[in-house]
Amino acid sequence: MTVTLTSPASVSRRQVKVRRRPDQVRSRLAAWIAVVVIGLFGMLPVYWLVATAFTPDDKAFSFPPSLFPTEITFDHFANLARNEQLFGYLVNSVIVSVVTAVLSVVVSAYMAYAFSKFRYRGRRSLMHLVLASQMFPQALLLVTLYAVFSASGLLGSYTALILSFTTFTLPLCVWMLKGIFDTVPSSLMEAAAIDGASRLRTLHQIALPLAAPGLVAAGLFAFVRAWNDFVFALTLTDPDRQTLPPGLVHTYLGEFQTAWPDLMAASFVVSLPVIAAFMFLQRYLVGGLTAGAVKG
Amino acid sequence: MNARKLSDGQFAWLLMIPGLALFLAIIAYPLVAALVTGFFEQSLVRPGRAFVGLANFADVLGGDFWPVLRNTLVFTIGATLIPFVVGYALALALNAGIRGSGFLRGLFLFPWVIPGVVVSFLWLWIFNANYGVLNGVLTQAGFIETTVSWLGQPVTAMIAVIVTKTWASFPWMMVMLLAGLQTMPKELHEAASVDGAGAVRRFRSVTLPHMKGIAGIVLLLEFIWNFQHFDTIYVLTGGGPAGSTKTFAVAVYDTAFKGFDLGHATALGGLWMLLLLVLVAFYLRRETKESS
Repeated sequence: MTVTLTSPASVSRRQVKVRRRPDQVRSRLAAWIAVVVIGLFGMLPVYWLVATAFTPDDKAFSFPPSLFPTEITFDHFANLARNEQLFGYLVNSVIVSVVTAVLSVVVSAYMAYAFSKFRYRGRRSLMHLVLASQMFPQALLLVTLYAVFSASGLLGSYTALILSFTTFTLPLCVWMLKGIFDTVPSSLMEAAAIDGASRLRTLHQIALPLAAPGLVAAGLFAFVRAWNDFVFALTLTDPDRQTLPPGLVHTYLGEFQTAWPDLMAASFVVSLPVIAAFMFLQRYLVGGLTAGAVKG
Repeated sequence: MNARKLSDGQFAWLLMIPGLALFLAIIAYPLVAALVTGFFEQSLVRPGRAFVGLANFADVLGGDFWPVLRNTLVFTIGATLIPFVVGYALALALNAGIRGSGFLRGLFLFPWVIPGVVVSFLWLWIFNANYGVLNGVLTQAGFIETTVSWLGQPVTAMIAVIVTKTWASFPWMMVMLLAGLQTMPKELHEAASVDGAGAVRRFRSVTLPHMKGIAGIVLLLEFIWNFQHFDTIYVLTGGGPAGSTKTFAVAVYDTAFKGFDLGHATALGGLWMLLLLVLVAFYLRRETKESS
């Protein structure tokens, strides 16, 4: 299911021409009230995250807290930059997420192409199995993955993390890329076949380049899912291979008194790559979301 | 080997080999193996195992299963319906032709885009019993006299995890429902309007029927995800206090990785999986109808 979003701007321009009737004014007023109320719920916590990250410790640990910072400090970010352990987590996160994304896209591109462009026995059932598999409970998979990685000596390695992340990025990429390949017209492939190109060559030189933006989008979604993972990284690694999400839990939450401003500063930094990824992904949002790009 | 000699079907299977191999190794096998473990007495830290038949299932059904099912349902229903209502209201508002709705849509994505653990840290800080901003605002406004330990009491802890999950989920609902609203033909509303239907009537007779399909899918998917949600609950409450927010995901995880009792963990997990399969079957039926 892919739905293209029409730009809201064009919608509103069309409506301006229509003479405003009283009930239209009323509905617009109701719309603004909804936006403001939900906006407060949605944005105040974001504000609080950012505000705390810039608040000096003595102000943050006072009660009642002042809603508007009277003093701004960059100390917490400086603390982060000095923390070598956190830098290690960051490096781990980058390595594991990038490799997961690339591996998932490469492997699933071929599978998605087969699903999209060929008709054969077992295709439908396999597609459903792949779709269903991203709804299997992770905690249950984890039990066996832990045992397998432990027996093969992979526990705590990057490989263990990458393979475990692929359990959710593979179905996501397959499903999303199938949708992308569906939009590549089959007539192009038939034309290539008539010109004597082999099926593999058609795939590599016609379909993949046409699907390139979609491949990038799927890769970014996979990157985000890997970057955000908590439960696999928490369980399958030892401290020096840990990624940021469990790393931050261990660094900050285990202590007697959590350094909240430092943690908020770290949270801010950890969110940045994901926010940047989503700015590129706006166009693919709805298609990616139904494919399970981000799990709730 | 010459690929040209293969039939289309054989070629397709060839393309699927790497994906299928990976799928079998890291998803299908681990899942089946985990389900089988439910029939054994097995420890995470000691080698060897003994077949015990249905004993683990009997233990689980006589103990953890029911309270955990109750917690999971309360959390799942709350964290599905509330974001649905909030997201729907916002989608309708952004579709009402107000200025800057494209920008607002992007802005509203923030809570849902940021990583799950960050969401948890943030709300852990907001709900903090000593310095939390929620206590601060409520005491200053005079709603409460002394600070409340939101995450330290069963009822407020459950509300807290639902609120947190609502905050992280409503933008997703909004995006999906807004996409649905934007595919609604304008003429339908105009025609109804000419026939004298007011805004409420138009919403009931035009918008709701058009949105039935997408609303169903969104609700079902969110329900499935919440039914196995782990991150927020684990970081916020760890399933506590006194097991009051212990859902299937947390219970299975704790039994396996804190109690080292794989037999009981996978027995509970097997029952959990069974319930999930019913939901997934619903989803697949919808998805099949949708695509054909």
